[in-house]
This record gives sequence, structure tokens and C-alpha cells, in this order.
Amino acid sequence: MRMKAAAAVAVAGASALLLSACGVGGGGGATASGNFADCAENINNCNSVPEDQLQQGGTITFAIEKNIPNWNVVSADGNVFETGMATQAYLPAAFDTQPDLTLALNTDLMVSADLVNPTTIVYKIKPEAVWSDGTPISADDFAYSWKMQSPTECPECATAGNGGWDVVQDVVGSDGGKTATMTLSHPFTDWQNYFSSGQPLYPAHIAAQHGDLNTPEGIAASFDWFGKNPPTYSGGPYVVENWQDNQALTLAPNPRWYGATKPKLDQLIMRVITDATQEPIALQNNEVQVIYPQPQVDIVQQIQQIPNVSQNQQLGIQWEHYDFNLRNPFLQDKALRQAMYTAVNREDIIAKTVGQFNPDVQPLNSLMFLPQMEGYTDNVTATGLGSGDVERAKQILTDAGYTGVGEKLVAPSGEAVPDMRIRYTVGNAIRQNESELFAGYMKQLGINVAVEPTDDLGTTLSAGDYDIMVFAWVQSPAPFANAQQTFLSSSGNNFGQYKNPRTDAMLNEAASSADKAAATATLNEADRIIMEDAYVLPLYQKPTLIAAQDTVANVRGNASLAGPTYNAGEWALRAGS
Amino acid sequence: MLLYAVRRIVISIPILLVSSFIVFWLGTLSGNPLTPLLLRNPPPPQSVLDAEAARLHLDEPLVPRYLAWLGGVFRGDFGPSVIATQDIGEELATRFWVTMRLIIVAMIVALVLAVLVGVYTAVKQYSKSDYAATFIGFLFLAMPSFWLAILLKQGGIDFNTIVGDQVIYTIGASSIPPPDGLLARVADVAGHMVLPTIALALISYAAWSRFTRASMLETLNSDYVRLARAKGLPRRTVMFRHALRTALIPLTTVTALDMATILGGAVITETVFQWRGLGDFLIESIRQFDTYAVTSWLLISATIVIVLNLVADLLYGVLDPRIRYA
Amino acid sequence: MPDAIDTTHPRPAAPADPDREFTVEERSQAQLVLRRFLQHRAAMVSLVVLVLLVLLAYVVGPLWRYDVGQITPDNSAPPSLAHPFGTDAVGKDQFAQVLGGTRTSLQVSVMVALLATFVGTLWGSIAGYFGGWVDTIMMRIADLVLTLPLIAVAAMLAHNLGGTWYLIGLVIAGLYWAYVSRVARGVVLSLREKEFIEAARALGASNTRIIVRHLVPNALGSILVNLTILVALAILLETALSYLGFGVQVPDTSLGLLVNEAQTALTTRPWLFYFPGLFIIIIALTINFIGDGLRDAFDPQQTKVRQ
Repeated sequence: MRMKAAAAVAVAGASALLLSACGVGGGGGATASGNFADCAENINNCNSVPEDQLQQGGTITFAIEKNIPNWNVVSADGNVFETGMATQAYLPAAFDTQPDLTLALNTDLMVSADLVNPTTIVYKIKPEAVWSDGTPISADDFAYSWKMQSPTECPECATAGNGGWDVVQDVVGSDGGKTATMTLSHPFTDWQNYFSSGQPLYPAHIAAQHGDLNTPEGIAASFDWFGKNPPTYSGGPYVVENWQDNQALTLAPNPRWYGATKPKLDQLIMRVITDATQEPIALQNNEVQVIYPQPQVDIVQQIQQIPNVSQNQQLGIQWEHYDFNLRNPFLQDKALRQAMYTAVNREDIIAKTVGQFNPDVQPLNSLMFLPQMEGYTDNVTATGLGSGDVERAKQILTDAGYTGVGEKLVAPSGEAVPDMRIRYTVGNAIRQNESELFAGYMKQLGINVAVEPTDDLGTTLSAGDYDIMVFAWVQSPAPFANAQQTFLSSSGNNFGQYKNPRTDAMLNEAASSADKAAATATLNEADRIIMEDAYVLPLYQKPTLIAAQDTVANVRGNASLAGPTYNAGEWALRAGS
Repeated sequence: MLLYAVRRIVISIPILLVSSFIVFWLGTLSGNPLTPLLLRNPPPPQSVLDAEAARLHLDEPLVPRYLAWLGGVFRGDFGPSVIATQDIGEELATRFWVTMRLIIVAMIVALVLAVLVGVYTAVKQYSKSDYAATFIGFLFLAMPSFWLAILLKQGGIDFNTIVGDQVIYTIGASSIPPPDGLLARVADVAGHMVLPTIALALISYAAWSRFTRASMLETLNSDYVRLARAKGLPRRTVMFRHALRTALIPLTTVTALDMATILGGAVITETVFQWRGLGDFLIESIRQFDTYAVTSWLLISATIVIVLNLVADLLYGVLDPRIRYA
Repeated sequence: MPDAIDTTHPRPAAPADPDREFTVEERSQAQLVLRRFLQHRAAMVSLVVLVLLVLLAYVVGPLWRYDVGQITPDNSAPPSLAHPFGTDAVGKDQFAQVLGGTRTSLQVSVMVALLATFVGTLWGSIAGYFGGWVDTIMMRIADLVLTLPLIAVAAMLAHNLGGTWYLIGLVIAGLYWAYVSRVARGVVLSLREKEFIEAARALGASNTRIIVRHLVPNALGSILVNLTILVALAILLETALSYLGFGVQVPDTSLGLLVNEAQTALTTRPWLFYFPGLFIIIIALTINFIGDGLRDAFDPQQTKVRQ
């Protein structure tokens, strides 16, 4: 495995405050500082402090950027990053996402979880694992958590649509409820995502109080109840002590916590701060101790100026990209698309945007995998797309019969290539720059591109009201199911309407395979074909940023959907602070 | 006078209804409330989207939707929010007091300052301090409020650094959890209020001190004050017993009329300082295309302002015996 | 303080040659006003500063070596000779940006001021002149607009319409006219009963003629004062809208947008934070002083204490 995110550079001096003109690679920026300095080598365990050097008690306040209006993290309404960060403190999961983006067995809860044959998974639960009311965590909870997400067991449940649940046939308990055996109708390549921290276990015995779990209606009723009510239950290191809507979630140690490490803090508070620009000031004023904002030049530099605060950037699971809309008849021509993407200079884009505060960002060269993930292969460089080679782009156009290259482009049919629109989310300065830069590259080919923001990205995308769109995808921990959603001809998320029966077959094959290596190879082959078709141009992985007071121990960045609270139970203050 | 009040209210109601319809209509045009769902990755199933559209009545025509909402308002139901678990009425009720606390304190601070400075500068017209006060007042009037607020925050942090203690806070209306002990709790709330109050008060202060000055000058210049002075009454008595009282009467109206502006100012202040008041709710609702919430918000705020205006008008009549209502 | 208008009202015109009579009268009136304005030191200084600023934006701006939105190779550079106001993260020259923003902001606010003044004056004059139920209905509508927090409605409408500068201007003007109508009505109400209006009416002048030829010119002082102040208010409202994310959007730029983009830059790249903010303050401040000067010039009684 390649560990791209680990390629962080240690602190630069005061000269780093003023960025040099040549931005990238010059060592002008610092992505890891102070307590996070060891995150470069030791991404999964940095900022660790031995238990005897930790303070017993104390409070840590962590800023989250959205309110939690729905507590059911597997529901469509509750499937929000902030909600997911909160639930990890009190809901148990079979697998946790580590900072290096791998899934690791949650050894507090699980003895083991194994794929015993392509369609059977056996979960063995620790005997001491109990909910906060003393009820053992059992196969019933696994069965319930499956049913609430299954489109057949509970058609009324408005789920987030996490993949794979439709192939689950049954969950059977044995061994006094401490073993759960799940049977699938087809192999599911991303099987470790079942009951992982994004789709954790909900307590079946609480659910049973709010609906008859033998009927779909009853399951749906309990499903909604979990959404509406702040949790009174816990199977994790913390219990919810208090929830103030729009303000803060106060967590206290779970007295029945069965895990190896007991929480050291008296309270862990997640405070809702909806305006990210206010976070560094609140951190400086010690109103919060840990923040996790989207990085940008000023925030990174502002934090550098604060004494006794450390910060760290990682390359995350969101990746920026340009998308063509193939509804535009001119963009149906592969040669035009290839020429346009060839003229795009990704290095230049990075230098003008994220490179200003993170010298480690590199062009992303796969549509399917991130560099941190197993299977990442460079499928872009060979195509020449994103190289900024304008001469080559012009040659492609000339070869395809275009005229007026570099002045006013005319298609081989004799029709002038019309003006196009590149769109981005209003107020997103980085995407604005990416759009303006794109327009600049296209001008060199003789194509006029207007930059036009949208305040309703979802509708604009699904209505196809764009020629080029710049936005970001979130790479889910299930790359195979994810690829189907993004690129299948029939998928609702295939906004630009790329249609290719050949890749459709490959995507479907890769997602339902028992042989991960073969599936990976197939997916990479599909990636190569889609890249060659110049439909989506990946730009770069968006960096994530964590900053914390130096008194805080065991807190570290986690660029996955789990977020830094993946180890909330271990958060503590250093002794003597 | 009662008749006058009743007539004004009766006239206000149909116009309020018409405008609420317009706001509602514009709200429905403004964007798709399903956007956050559409952008999810993985995407929620189509059935979920359909159910959500039905819950928000997106599938119904405009007029019946509006009428259903209006009917609900009279029963205290402000319609479904885009956020399924959120009750708009409840939200407005809790946030109302948060905003009122901010507004009332800021108004009192602004009024006291404005009257002091306004009277002083009127009495010392064309003195150096008059010019200085005028300039400072105009400077506040010319400053974008969030720009000022950002500077204030930085100032607050510098203050804390100098004092060496956390006295001033930049986020929220109180610490979570609140500190133990009554005194500590009062200090905590005060520490959270300082900056937003200043930010909100300064703008009203500038306008009101100008108004007080002009009004005071006019009174000082009036025949009856000059008569009182001519009769040999002491300057101080004339100033406070005769001039000041008369000069301050119009300020009540101005204060009430500015209510809408202050409520607008609170929108900015609450965003910068992360107070969960009405202003913050409005902005969140607009961003989420939450038509019912936005329309309800505007209806409530318009009602507050109308009632306050009416009170000010009636008060004006009581304070100033020359006014007669037809 | 309606009687404050007294000084501006001319004597009734002679029936034989009303136009000539009026011109002569108005000119002397105008001269008086002008002289008083010229003597108002703060207003004169402000006027000079504002004119310089406008020249900077409209003459120097287009001649400057960088265009608005042009990307230069210098990223986040502090102020220097090449970039007097520094550059932002992508390398846009802040001097060009601020001047471009100033142009847009001035365009928005002047448009708001003219539009709101025109509509508001007409609305208020008609209401005030006719009185009765016309007045009641028209002013209730205006009152209603006044009862809604401007920024709230503006934010909602601007969110709807998108961020082109003239649409933002239209939204703001669509709310400010009500303020003007109130002022205009007050003035007209006080003028309506004056002798020269009665005289005109007695001579058989039509309502339109009376409103257009007699009422509006005489209300000009107050209206002009309000117009200037509206320019300042509109700039600030546009800034507030930008902060909330509902203001002018790229490819347009405005001072509000610039200062909003720079709100995190106070301690890190202060040039981005202070320059656009300073321009907003200078514009709003000078306009307020000019408005003050105009008010004094049209209406000297209000501020002069007779000793």
C-alpha cells in the first residue's frame, strides 16, 4: 500500500507565513506542526501519549460545523458527516476506519469478523460487551441493524442507501447471542463495510420498545424513533449527557463501557459552530480545543500564529474533478473532450489553489481509488489529460478535422463550437478559481467558456444545466459499490450521462466478486477506459486540517468519513496541563 | 385613540397576508429543498426523495399549499421544515428570547449613549467635542457591521491576553457547560455578551445620537425654551425640565421604527458570534430553501415590528399632548 | 419638523409668465443653497475625496496594468510597487480588484439611490397630495415594506435571483423606496397647505401639474439629502448581503464581496482585509458628510441656534 498522506513535511519557520510565489514543493508551507509532527511517519498513532502521562478528568470541546437534526446515521436525513462523528462516541461498530483509510476490526467489541466463504460472514462478539443499560450486545442487534437498512425487510425505512444490504439474506444468532452469522445471496466485495463505523449497530432491545420488529411497519417506526430522539442508549465509551439543539452535544463517560481503555475526560463536548471562519478565533481564545475546518490559506496561517496550538493536514477522501455534460452534442465528440482536458494544467491549478497551503498535494491519477488505498494505479498520466500540453491539445483537434484552433474553434461539421458554461457552487473560492483557470485554458484552444456559479448544485447537476461542472466526490470506503454509483449508465449519480455497456459490465463484475484482487484489476481496467474517453478529469485530493491545543493528547486527523472522533474514547488531556 | 389603533391593525392584516403570499411564492421559486439529499453519495433511493417531496407538499400547487400553511399558522402549526425533526414554531419561540436578550440590551446601551452624547453635543454645538462626536458617529454609520465585528473579536482576544484571563468570549451566548456558582455564571454570560452588544449597539447609537442632537437643538431653539430662559429660570432647569423632555419624545418613535433595522442587524451579529437566535435561523433556512420557515420568520418579525410601531405611536400620543388621533 | 422646509418655498408666481418667474426665483434659491454648501467644510472635503476616489476607480482603474480578475504569477504577495494593494491567493492584483469592486459597488448604490428615490418620491407625493383612502392604502403598503427587516428580505430575494450586480441593485431598491416615500409624503403634506399651492390650484392647474411643477421641485432639498444617504446605505447593505453569501457574485466583483472573501485574512494577509474595507468606509463616510452638508444648505434653521 502507498501512504500518500504520510508524505507530510515538518514545520517551517516564520518565513512560512508569507508564501513564496512559486508555491508548490518549495517547502514554503507546513502541513504538520508541534504535537502532530510525527503524523508524517506514524499516521495511525501520532500524538499518542502513554496512559500514565494523561490527566484524569477535564473537558475537551470539539467544534463541529453542522447541527445534528437527525440521530439515525443510516437514514437519508441523518447521513451527515457531523452526525457520524458524534455517533462514533456512543454507537458500537464491527470495523473502524483508521487514519490511513483502512478498516480495522474494533477489538473492544469484536472477537473476530470473518468471511468464511464468499457469501457467509461470521461475527463473534466479546462476551463482556453490553449496552449502557446492561443488556448484552448480541446477534439481535446485528439482525436489527441489517433489517433497518434492508430494502426488502423495511421498504418504508428512508435509508441513506449504503450499498450491499440488498444482497443480505439472513442474520442468525448462536452461542447465546454472541455469534452472528450473516448470509448473502451474492458476494459483496466491500463486505467489511457492513456494520462499520458509518453504519453502526443500533440497539434492538430499544428498537423493540418503539415498534414490532417482526413487521416492516414496526421496524420503520423504530427507525424513525432513532432519528427523532437524542440517544439515551450507548454501546461506546461515552453516553450522551445533554443535547442542546444547535449548540452542543455533551458526552460523559459510559459507566458500563466494556472496552480496554476507559475514557479519561469528565466531558467531551461537540460544539456547533456553523461558520468555519470563526473557528480559529475560538481556538485561539481557548473556547474550543480541537477544530477540523476545511483548510484554506488564511486559516492555516492564522493557526500557525497561535501559540501552543498544533496542526496537521492530510490528503482526504474528497477529490475535486471536472465533469463534462455529454448532453451537449459537441461534447459527445471524444476528440474535443480529450483536447480540452489535455489543455488543462493540473499542476498549475494546484499551485494556484490548494498548493498555497499544502505543498504535498499532487494531481490525482485515478477515478476509482485514492493513493492511500490498495489498488491505486496511475491511469491518467499516459493519456496526457490534465498535462497542460496545449500544442498536443491543438494537434488532437487538428487531426480530428477541427478548424480555427486557437482562434474561434469550428467543428469538422462546419458548425462553430458554441460558448460553454462551467459552473461551481456559489461562494466556493477555490472552485471559482478552478473555473476561471479552466476558462483560461480553453481560450487558448479557441473555445469560449463562461464561469457561472450555481446556488443549487444538486438540481443543476441532476437537471444537466451545465457544460462543465467542477465539484468533489467523496470516495466511500466501498470503492467497488461507489464506482457503480458514479459511472454506471443507469445510475442517478452519473450526472453527465456517460454511457458505455462495456464498462457497465466491468463495474458490475468488480462489485460482486469474492476475489478482491481480480475485482481491483477489473476496476482499474474500467478506469483506464473511462479515462481514455475523457469524461471526468480528476484534479486532486482535498486536504483536511486538524488543529488542537497542545494540552490535548491522542487526537489526530482522520481524513475518512469517520473523522477525527474515530478514537474519541482515547481523547484526553496531558497531565499537568 | 382605541379606534385609531383598531383601524390601523385592521388595515395591516390584509396587507400582511398579501405580502406573506408573495414571500411564500418567492420562497417556493427559490430552489429545490431536496438538494442536500440529491447531493448525497451514495444517493438515497428514489422512494426516499418522493416521500420527502410529499412531506413538504412539493407536489401540490402553490395556492392550496399556501392556504394550508396559513390555516396551520392560526392553529400554531408553521408547516413542515426541510429538516424533518425540526418544529418551526418551537424553533421560533426558543430563538425569540435569545434574540430579544441581545436586542434589548444593545438598544438600552445605544439609547443611553445616544442621549448622553446627543444632548452634550447639542449644548456644546460647534465645539471640538461636537465635531469629534459627529465624526465618530459618522464613522460607525459608515462601517460594515461584520467588518467591525471581526475587528472587535481580535480586540477581545488581545484584551484577554493582556488581562491574562479569559474574560471575553467570541462564540455563543454562554459557555457549555456553564461554570458553577451564580457569580461565575453571570460573569460568563456577560463575557459572551460584550462583543455582540457593542457590534449591534454602535450602529444604532450613531443614528440615534445624531437624531437626539438635532431634536435637542430644535427644542433649545424654540420659543418656549427661550421664553423660559428669558423669565430667568436657571439654565440647568430649562435644559432638563423643559428642553430634554420634549426633545426625547420623537426618539421613542424613531427607536420603534428602527426595530426592523435592528432585527436585521441581529442577523449579521448572530452569524458572526454564533448566537442561535432568530437571525441565525433565518439565514440557515434561506440556505436550505426552507420555504415554510422563511415565510413564518418574516410573518413573525413583521408582526413584532407592527405591534411595536403601534405601541410607539400610542405612547407618542400619551407623551405629547399636542397629538390627536383622528 | 415640517416647518423646516419654509426657507425653500418660493413666492407664488405671477400668472403672466410663471416659468420665467420661477426660474429667476429658483436660481437665486439655488445660489443660496450652493453658497451654504460651499461653506460646509466637512462636506467640501468629503466631496473632494469622493471625486478623487471616483476618478481613481473610473479613470485610473481601466488604465491600470492589470484587469479585474486577471491572474498574475504573484500569489498572496504583500503590497509592493508592482501591486500597491498586494495580491490574493490566485494572484489577482488587489488594486485592480478593489477599483473594480468600487465601480460595481458605486453602480449598485447609485442605481439603488436613483431608482428608490424616483419610485419613492412619486409614491409618497401621490399619497400625500391626494390624502384620504389613497394615502391610507399607499402608505400602509410602504409601511409594510418598512416592517420587514430589509436584510432578511434582501437575502431571500437575492438568493432567488442570483448575484448579478443590477439584480442585487434592483432588490435593494425594491425595499428602500418605502423609506423615501415616507419622507416625500411628509414634505408634500406640509407643502400641500401652503399658499402658493392653493394659488396654483385656484388658477386651475391640474393635479399632475401641481405635483410635477410645484410639489416635487420644492421637496427637492429633502429628496436630494435622502438620495445621497441612500448611496451610503446601499453600499453597506450590499456588503452585508455579501457577508451572508447572498450578494454580488463572480464574475462581477464588489467591495462587499472582496471584504467578505478576506474576512479570515485580518491577521494573516491584512492587505486583503483592510483595503476594501477602507474603501467602503471612505465612500460611506464622505457621502454621509455630503448629505449632512446638503441638509444644512437646504435647511439652515435646523442646525443653527440663534444666540
